[in-house]
Amino acid sequence: MKRLLLCSTLFVLVFFLGNRGAHAQAQSKTIVQGRVTDQDKKPVRGVTVAEIDKEQRIIRAVTTDVDGNFAIRIDNNNDSLTFSHIGIETVIQPIGNRAVFNITMRTREAVLAGVVVVSQRKTDNGLLPVNERDLTTSVAKISAKELEEMQAASIDQALQGRLPGVDITANSGDPGAGMQIRIRGTSSINSTNDPLIVVDGMPYETQIPSDFNFGTADELGYASLLNIAPTDIRDITILKDAAATAVWGSRAANGVVVINTKRGVVSKPVISYTFKGSITKQPEAIPMLTGDQYSTLIPEEYMNRNGTPLNTQTIKEFQYDPNDPYWYYNYSNNTDWVDAITQVGFTHDHNISMTGGGEKARYYASLGYLKQKGTTIGTDLDRISTRINLDYIVSNRIKFRTDLSFSYTNNHRSYADNLREVAYKKMPNMSIYEYDEFGNQTPNYFSPASNIQGQFSGIDDKNKIIGTVNPVAMAKEGLSNIITERVTPHFNLQYDIIKKTLVTVFDVQFDINNTKNKSFLPQIATGRPTTETYVNRAYDGDVDVFNVQTKTSLIYTPHLKNEKHDLMSSLIFFTYDNKSVSQEARTSNTASSLLQDPSVPSRTQNADLALVANSYQTRSLGATWSTQYGYLDRYIINVGLRGDGHSRFGPAHRYALFPSVSTRYRISGEPFMDQFKKWLDDLSLRVSYGQSGNAPRRDYTFYSIYGNFDWSYLGQAGVYPSNLELKNLKWETIVGQNLGLNVIMFKNRINLDIDLYKNRTKNLFFYGLQISSFTGFNGVDMNVGTMDNQGWEIGLNTTPYKKGDWRVDFNFNIAHNENIIREISEFYPTEKGNISANGQYKTFMQVNNPFGSFYGFRYLGVYSDKDATLARGASGKPIIGPNGQQVYMRFNYPNVDYIFQPGDAMYEDINHDGNINYMDVVYLGNGNPEFTGGFGASVTFKENLKLTAFFNYRYDYDVVNGTKMATTNMYGYDNQSTAVLRRWRKEGDVTDIPRALFQSGYNWLGSDRYVEDASFLRFRSMTVRYTLPKKMVDGLKMKNLSGYITVENLFTWTKYTGQDPEVSTRGADPFRVAVDNSMTPPIKMLTLGLTASF
Amino acid sequence: MKLQKNILLGFVWFCCAICFSSCKKYLELKPTDGIIRQNFWKTKEQVQAAVFGCYASLLGAPAGISDRPLSEYFFLWGELRADMLSPSFGITAPELDFMNVNILPTNNITNWRSVYRTINYCNTVIDYAPEVLSNDKTFTDEALAAYVAEATTLRALMYFYLVRTFRDVPLKLTSTSSDDQLEQLAKSTAAEVLDQIVTDLNDSEAALPLTYNDQAADKGRITRYTLNALQADVYLWMEKYPEAITACDKIINSGKFGLIPGSSTWFNTVFANGNSYESIFEFQFDRQKLNSFYTLFRTNPHFTASNIVYEDVFAADGQNDLKDLRFDGAAARANDGLIWKYIGIDNATLRAQGESFAHWFVYRYPDILLMKAEALAKTGKGQDALDIVYRIRSRASALPDTDRPGITANDTEGILDFILEERSREFAYEGKRWFDLLRHAKRDNYKRLDLLLTMVSKTVPPDRQQSAIAKFKDKNSHYLPIYQYEIQTDKNLEQNPFYK
Repeated sequence: MKRLLLCSTLFVLVFFLGNRGAHAQAQSKTIVQGRVTDQDKKPVRGVTVAEIDKEQRIIRAVTTDVDGNFAIRIDNNNDSLTFSHIGIETVIQPIGNRAVFNITMRTREAVLAGVVVVSQRKTDNGLLPVNERDLTTSVAKISAKELEEMQAASIDQALQGRLPGVDITANSGDPGAGMQIRIRGTSSINSTNDPLIVVDGMPYETQIPSDFNFGTADELGYASLLNIAPTDIRDITILKDAAATAVWGSRAANGVVVINTKRGVVSKPVISYTFKGSITKQPEAIPMLTGDQYSTLIPEEYMNRNGTPLNTQTIKEFQYDPNDPYWYYNYSNNTDWVDAITQVGFTHDHNISMTGGGEKARYYASLGYLKQKGTTIGTDLDRISTRINLDYIVSNRIKFRTDLSFSYTNNHRSYADNLREVAYKKMPNMSIYEYDEFGNQTPNYFSPASNIQGQFSGIDDKNKIIGTVNPVAMAKEGLSNIITERVTPHFNLQYDIIKKTLVTVFDVQFDINNTKNKSFLPQIATGRPTTETYVNRAYDGDVDVFNVQTKTSLIYTPHLKNEKHDLMSSLIFFTYDNKSVSQEARTSNTASSLLQDPSVPSRTQNADLALVANSYQTRSLGATWSTQYGYLDRYIINVGLRGDGHSRFGPAHRYALFPSVSTRYRISGEPFMDQFKKWLDDLSLRVSYGQSGNAPRRDYTFYSIYGNFDWSYLGQAGVYPSNLELKNLKWETIVGQNLGLNVIMFKNRINLDIDLYKNRTKNLFFYGLQISSFTGFNGVDMNVGTMDNQGWEIGLNTTPYKKGDWRVDFNFNIAHNENIIREISEFYPTEKGNISANGQYKTFMQVNNPFGSFYGFRYLGVYSDKDATLARGASGKPIIGPNGQQVYMRFNYPNVDYIFQPGDAMYEDINHDGNINYMDVVYLGNGNPEFTGGFGASVTFKENLKLTAFFNYRYDYDVVNGTKMATTNMYGYDNQSTAVLRRWRKEGDVTDIPRALFQSGYNWLGSDRYVEDASFLRFRSMTVRYTLPKKMVDGLKMKNLSGYITVENLFTWTKYTGQDPEVSTRGADPFRVAVDNSMTPPIKMLTLGLTASF
Repeated sequence: MKLQKNILLGFVWFCCAICFSSCKKYLELKPTDGIIRQNFWKTKEQVQAAVFGCYASLLGAPAGISDRPLSEYFFLWGELRADMLSPSFGITAPELDFMNVNILPTNNITNWRSVYRTINYCNTVIDYAPEVLSNDKTFTDEALAAYVAEATTLRALMYFYLVRTFRDVPLKLTSTSSDDQLEQLAKSTAAEVLDQIVTDLNDSEAALPLTYNDQAADKGRITRYTLNALQADVYLWMEKYPEAITACDKIINSGKFGLIPGSSTWFNTVFANGNSYESIFEFQFDRQKLNSFYTLFRTNPHFTASNIVYEDVFAADGQNDLKDLRFDGAAARANDGLIWKYIGIDNATLRAQGESFAHWFVYRYPDILLMKAEALAKTGKGQDALDIVYRIRSRASALPDTDRPGITANDTEGILDFILEERSREFAYEGKRWFDLLRHAKRDNYKRLDLLLTMVSKTVPPDRQQSAIAKFKDKNSHYLPIYQYEIQTDKNLEQNPFYK
């Protein structure tokens, strides 16, 4: 199929090229000669003198000698001669019957001096460049210039908070961690919500096979844009409404990010060097208990459960007996575990690029090196990236481009993702290094196989430690390394079938992405006995992805005689073929911690160890027809139709059609608006409607696949049906509607975009929808309903002051979004959360109501004494039982029937029945922000000094402070924050923190105690940049030199008491509650940068 | 120029036509590393592999699904609410709630998912194995019938666990293999489920082989004796005593089973090694598939032996050197109360974690004997019943303190209580205690509800005692609630009234 397309296109080209040749006219060979001088009458040496035909193809060329003389034999008198030299304006003259050409050429500076540049901004949806003023759809654009000061390893980090309706949040602060990009909220309940990334006109793969173990919680996080160096980027355009994304088909349903990299321009070679260096520091975290305070808390907590004291004779962790030096020294410390795994991070990023070119060939080449060291010990990232973009103009009918990029990343991560969390919870009286039985410190990590706090019991499927470990041993000795090599050659050939009217473009892009993942868990990191399979566990995994995409476009732009009409039409075919092959080997118990590869003799037979190989292939086909018609520059309409076929659907639902229509009405172009012309540049209204389809995430789901159990029974293999055959899975269709307004005033000084949108997702995918278990399966992928995702966004760019040397720019964006379920499958649960269990909130999914509201109890403090626990009726008088006895407050009678004790948390008895149960649950808040956005200003003085500041904000949303919950619940052996020093301890204590209660009680039910308004305003970044004045630069024989300083995350204004109010609600679960589990505020960063070009 | 344009357009359309006609094939991709259903069910080896898949699922959930293994559920369901465990420091909140008779529909131990998973595997074999007859000419009707009978009996065993634990449950007798077969099933009553079990067992009996000519396979796969053992158990539960006796006699008269004499190697032979002469059906954990009991009982013990085990069950007060063979170093380790049955390699030595593959014992020969004794006592053959009990006791050198010397052959209730006590010693921690207590309590229209009330008054902490006793007085509370997820995903399921 691919080959077919390739062949056919080549055939077309050969056919027409041949045709051209046949049309060439009769030749008459003559010789012409002449002299080239500059405006000062001095001869110019080295000027290229070429005979070119009508299509600008070079027939023959010579160069001028020292005296500026040349002679050239001419093939055809109808051709022209061109005289070109770098830095000098090109001269073209028809040959005709002239035999002598004495040419005077002017240097380019002289030319440019008197020219006023009139240009129009063009925006590329990746397929067709359209003048920005004629756009019928909603887009947001940002040029890399605006981002270059940010110390971001990848561009998604740099885009954070800059564009209205584009929400980008970090998955974690560690090097190599990815970002989550959401354009206009989430359109899908739990399928992939990541936008399609298009680089230089071709889709860029950001996903890796979902079942490959990357040793990371969020494989999407890994498959980031790390492989594109931010310095190579020219501009980024984000397509937001469905009419804009519809042409990209199935993978574009969540928006499209179009990235264009830099290309060569006609100039002398320019070499640029950019340096960015920064240091990062973990800010002060929440204060945790010291070892001494902890050792007081735990026995008390245990005692409170049922009056049985913790036996410190056998539980020696709390014995504190100097006569038993081994236990005494190892468990009498005040260790700050978090500090022990924290370091100062740094980043340095070097990029060198060369660009230039002549009339026919242009180039851009770059080489970058990034080194990043994380703030957690053992995390770092190295990246080498290179890119070569070549343009060759064969004739004015044929052009080709070759883009080649290669990147190599080497990322060391923590062995488990929750290491920092483990460190927070780790018992502080334990020692980092082991003391021997005489009380002398040894250099060995103190990693007991288990102690009262528990033991290491494995890594869960989210790559988190189950149980506990010595965090320092884990950070320093656990190895996890991901190495990626990615080569992306992209070839593009453009041929004008009818000059400037009918153009065909053929693109083919190969993407070879090889990833190697190695990890090793030595015995000392966990302390587990050597008989267990988590000891010396070696892992090695490889995934090789080979991806071929082609795009064949026919673009028709007739030059209509009647200038009132404007027409452009295109027909584009896409093919996509992605194949991934992975292999993983996991073994354990190698003979030594130094033998870290699974290939060394080690244990393999247990079911938790594995030798796995997988292979997946996905294919899709697409065709897009789209036409844009404009009348009088006022009425513009764009109509499109996209057809898609995808291999992930069963035969019944494989193909689908998605139409789109969008229009723009330029009110300012109407004659009656002439009166405002002085100050109104543009006033337009945009309306659009579009559909696009989403394909499911997994391959082959319409087959029931029989798998093997990982173990045998009585030595024989067992086979089982591993999934349901999905006969009914259909395309998830997003129907987008957008109403937009563009206002440009005062010669571009004020630029306002307002958009109102509604995206309706029909046949919502839901992966692993829990189904009744009598079917034998856990879940099924299903189309479960209809969801609306609606909101508005405003973007404002202004230049309020511009006079003399001073210029002030100000921009502002604000957006609002909400998700509403309109229809839902009967299999879909309607509520979640068990209100009678600690730490959970109740959420409901109500049709026609926005998501995000959560419910729970109202917290009133702590019962200070026995009297306070008396049940009281509405009047405040105690309730008397049927036998006249006193009744005390109960929890969840009759199912649980716990009687509240003094020191327990007090919840409001809403219905005054003396029983705290589901009837006392009230509305507590909503986790969706009312507004999100950002604003920034920049001040420029004489083009040399520039100060920019950027802020982002979210307003009015409620967050569950999960950190507070986890650090004050006093429910287990985990370390707690110093707030628990205020806890209730004896009858009569009046406080807001209940008594410590080991693994029992109801002291941390989901209540408003943990709910806070997390509205914030963050001073995201500030940059001072100084560019050396032209004269000084010239003196240094340089083209450009500038330096800057950026500070990030300077300050956050918020009433929120937790660490970081910017909580990203992961996934799109309608039952999601925004929970903040962060233990530290966002990392502060100082960056120094330098750019020099020669 | 015009001509050129036409040629071009013609060519483009030609290309399109070719593209679209080849689309269909281009987009048809099949997995290269798994067998799809359409290609399975072709040979008798595949049928066998599918049957072994049913067995393999007894040991744990397949890859990608994190769940307790069935044996752990069976242990928790059979022991947590009874009186032989005491919470230890590794206990989790759901487990503790169970022990304190504070069971809610959100407690994840009430999740029956893994039982139905195995049921679906069995149903798949029952539904699709007959297809193979037409594809594989070497596959005989007898072989097919035997495989189907194995799957049916295993399914019956699963339903028997469900009906004893949840009472009314959805009865799913066909397989689910595609998303258009999804339905919302209502519960069937306990009587309907039990009737189905009886029918399945009666239908399968003739087809099952008596032996697979391999000691391990005879104990690890379902034979006709396994079916008889299950029949006896089901009939006892249904209070059909003569039928129970008949089923037990089929095993006893076969002469293939017996009691292994009590000696210092008894524990090692029966429990540590497994597949002994006195075993009938065991889940075959092995070195590559370990059981989950090591973490439950050893590394961070969730439970230890309760005081009742020391004082009442075995009366091991140690005034002389007499020892019940089944207690110290068998059921538990006396000095620290560790549950020893699954973590000891012999009377005194612990298994290493990597060696933790003790089998799960579903039926052993003493069970058959004591079941028969129970049925005999109920049918007026008290002396025969007592003889059996003393046979079991003498094998294990039971202590005199646990004897009931005053019991006469006519004292039916006394004999039944004695059998119940003997079962607690013989099958300590084999997941049978709660079901035994409940069977005795509910027989003859809950004549012996007092058994449960007395039991709970001893096990639950004082501050929860009254509420626990009050709960147990309601018969509905003896069965678990339906897990919350099931209620949410199946609108036709009705919660057990006690937990509404």
